[in-house]
Amino acid sequence: MSDSEIEIPVGRLLRANSTAFTLGCRISETDRVSFGSLVRASSRAGQLDVYGLVVDVTIADDLLVKQLAISPGMTEEQRQDQLERRQVPIEMSVLAIGYREGGLIHRRIPPRPPLSLDRISLCSAREIQAITEGLGYLRLILRQRIGEIPVEQLIVAHIASAYEARGQDDRWALRAAGELIAQLRDDYGTLLPLLEALGDALPQLQGAVNV
Amino acid sequence: MSENEGTIGYIVGGNLQDGLRVRLTVPAADLQEGSFVVCDSDHWRFYGLVTDLELGATDPRFADEHLDRLHPALAQLLYGQTLFTTMEVYSTLMLDRGPEDPGERLRWQADIDSGRAERPAPRPVKTVPAHHAPVRLADAGDVAEIFGRDDPGSLVIGHTLEQGYPVRLDLARFVKRSAGIFGATGTGKSFLARIMLAGLIQAGSTDSRMASVLVFDMHNEYGFDDTDENENPVRGLRSLFGGRVQVAALGKGSQVRTKNPDFTLEIGMRDLLPRDILMLSEALSLTDKAADVLSALWRDFSDGWFIEFMSMQPGLVIETDDGKKIPAPNSPAGWARSAGIHESSAEALHRSLLRRLGDRDYLVRDPAMDAVEAVVDRLENGRHVVLSFGKYESDLDYLLVSNILTRRIRGRWVKKTEQYRSGAVEGAPRPLVIVVEEAHKLLNPSLSNQTAFGIIARELRKYMVTLLIIDQRPSGIDDEVMSQLGTRITGWLGDEDDIRAVLTGLSGRDKLRGMLARLREKEEVLLLGWGVRMPIPVKSRRYDQGFWDEMRAGRRGPDSGDVLNERINDELLPWA
Repeated sequence: MSDSEIEIPVGRLLRANSTAFTLGCRISETDRVSFGSLVRASSRAGQLDVYGLVVDVTIADDLLVKQLAISPGMTEEQRQDQLERRQVPIEMSVLAIGYREGGLIHRRIPPRPPLSLDRISLCSAREIQAITEGLGYLRLILRQRIGEIPVEQLIVAHIASAYEARGQDDRWALRAAGELIAQLRDDYGTLLPLLEALGDALPQLQGAVNV
Repeated sequence: MSENEGTIGYIVGGNLQDGLRVRLTVPAADLQEGSFVVCDSDHWRFYGLVTDLELGATDPRFADEHLDRLHPALAQLLYGQTLFTTMEVYSTLMLDRGPEDPGERLRWQADIDSGRAERPAPRPVKTVPAHHAPVRLADAGDVAEIFGRDDPGSLVIGHTLEQGYPVRLDLARFVKRSAGIFGATGTGKSFLARIMLAGLIQAGSTDSRMASVLVFDMHNEYGFDDTDENENPVRGLRSLFGGRVQVAALGKGSQVRTKNPDFTLEIGMRDLLPRDILMLSEALSLTDKAADVLSALWRDFSDGWFIEFMSMQPGLVIETDDGKKIPAPNSPAGWARSAGIHESSAEALHRSLLRRLGDRDYLVRDPAMDAVEAVVDRLENGRHVVLSFGKYESDLDYLLVSNILTRRIRGRWVKKTEQYRSGAVEGAPRPLVIVVEEAHKLLNPSLSNQTAFGIIARELRKYMVTLLIIDQRPSGIDDEVMSQLGTRITGWLGDEDDIRAVLTGLSGRDKLRGMLARLREKEEVLLLGWGVRMPIPVKSRRYDQGFWDEMRAGRRGPDSGDVLNERINDELLPWA
């Protein structure tokens, strides 16, 4: 990321493995991120940036929340206080889709996961453009098991957000759709709902673009 | 040109037996069955024909379901990926393109240019291209590589279906073996035949090694001008080529389409052999006994048998000394009695011959000139003869006269060829092409062993005589004859047996069968066989003013002096 762009932090890393990581954040930071957003974990003193898609957000309870939930006289003040001073952070699960090392972007599982408390930031539009220029990472997403989350919903959310970040780039959206069709051409059950959802998400998409 | 420019698909499978499978990257409608396609793979260039186009889907549900619930731009993307077209290609030839490495390739090319290495020529396929090798439509260079370039010995017979590149026949090769032009009635056979004949005649005007042509013109359509079904003028060969084409008519004083022929022909009765009559058994309604009678006639009278037999008076009796009436010796019954033959058989044969041949004025006791000499002289001198049957359009006359003349002319060519081969004379006889219509009447399984045509068809070009067969019922022709035909040019055929017959003896016939059945009537023909390097359907050439002009331009070639003189004759070139 260039120095001129404003860093939008979304939290810090709680735990990670080779294919995914989880960040913790405050309630106020959750507004900056959506399902399918592209985030960056800056790790190892800036030597390795790991990119991923937000695939799940978990708001866990704690003892105080449980007590307040059954307290008959909880005030709005108490509720706000609890939100801002939670004992446990909001957790966001991120699916790793690539990394940057030595100035080069690679769209595959990172060689090493990010480390605890590494800073996680939202990717800038320029980063989104650079990462999504190659579409090999879509294959990584399709191969993942992401709990209860339907993979086509994740992909549609990602493509819709990247489409906007790329300035409503029809050519790219169609190229991405073409890549998904190539990957899923034997999987009618996944492909058709995905294309339907994608059409709903991008009604303004212009057809007949030579991809 | 970049590697992928013009690519219509890529190889996804196939084998030598069943052909290649190509996944199309262009809409199926851009291709047709019969399209001529090319595939470069490693150092080979493969040539083939599209034999089938099949719609496919990665999952049948993609095909079953309408995609209108999808965004149109996304639905469009499914075409080519989940919904696609697979093309089957009948791979026929391959050509060595030289090494891939640029340096090696330059050396390879230099060796060829300097004559140190042989120039590669297309050869039958022995291998298959690699997976994903790009496939494209043949361009003008490919068509020229396989079907020849514009040179005096070639004739444009049609154009490729898609881009309309000219497809040529090598005429010298064409006449080396017997050939056939087939097609159901109304598919333009006779126009195609005119084009072939005009091409041969025109090529012969500048090359003395080209064949002379003898046409047995059963329906009087090749010699003089005619009109087509829409009353448009159709040039005859006589008016197209002037005196190089001589029209002969059967019988003294005969006319052809109210015009006087260049000469008339009479057949001497002594030229008639018993087997000529046996060949007509069906037309003459002869019984099995006729063979015995004919055999006895030949034994008793030799080549005078027909004259003697026809001069006998049926029913004539004489009275013996004891008052008993017996057949006179100069009656058929009387002769039969003396020859030990069944009397009623002799009488039946006599009746039949008298009734069917007795009034033929072309059949004479002493012809004014030898018909064979008259024809042979002209053919030897580089002229071409169209024998019109005039008023004698029946099968009987056609079978009888064409067989007798062909037998004798072939005999002359056999003699000339043997003299040439033994060194007795210099110069090989000029090749001769004998053109026969309604060939199934002469070459059906029961006759092909008896007629001169059957012999010519079987002996290939041994004696420099070949046939050009024009027929609408190839299934009526003996399979053995069909399998010997070199070039086959066929228009649409509706009958399955006819299609099978035309493809007799050819490799890949299973793949060509459908193509033949789906030719467009009057517009497309399929070129097949030994005379063309690979089968190909073409848009037929038109026998029209453009073609006539081209033939006329050909006549102004440097070696056609005698023809140049004829050009000033308005009668010969009425439209000039």
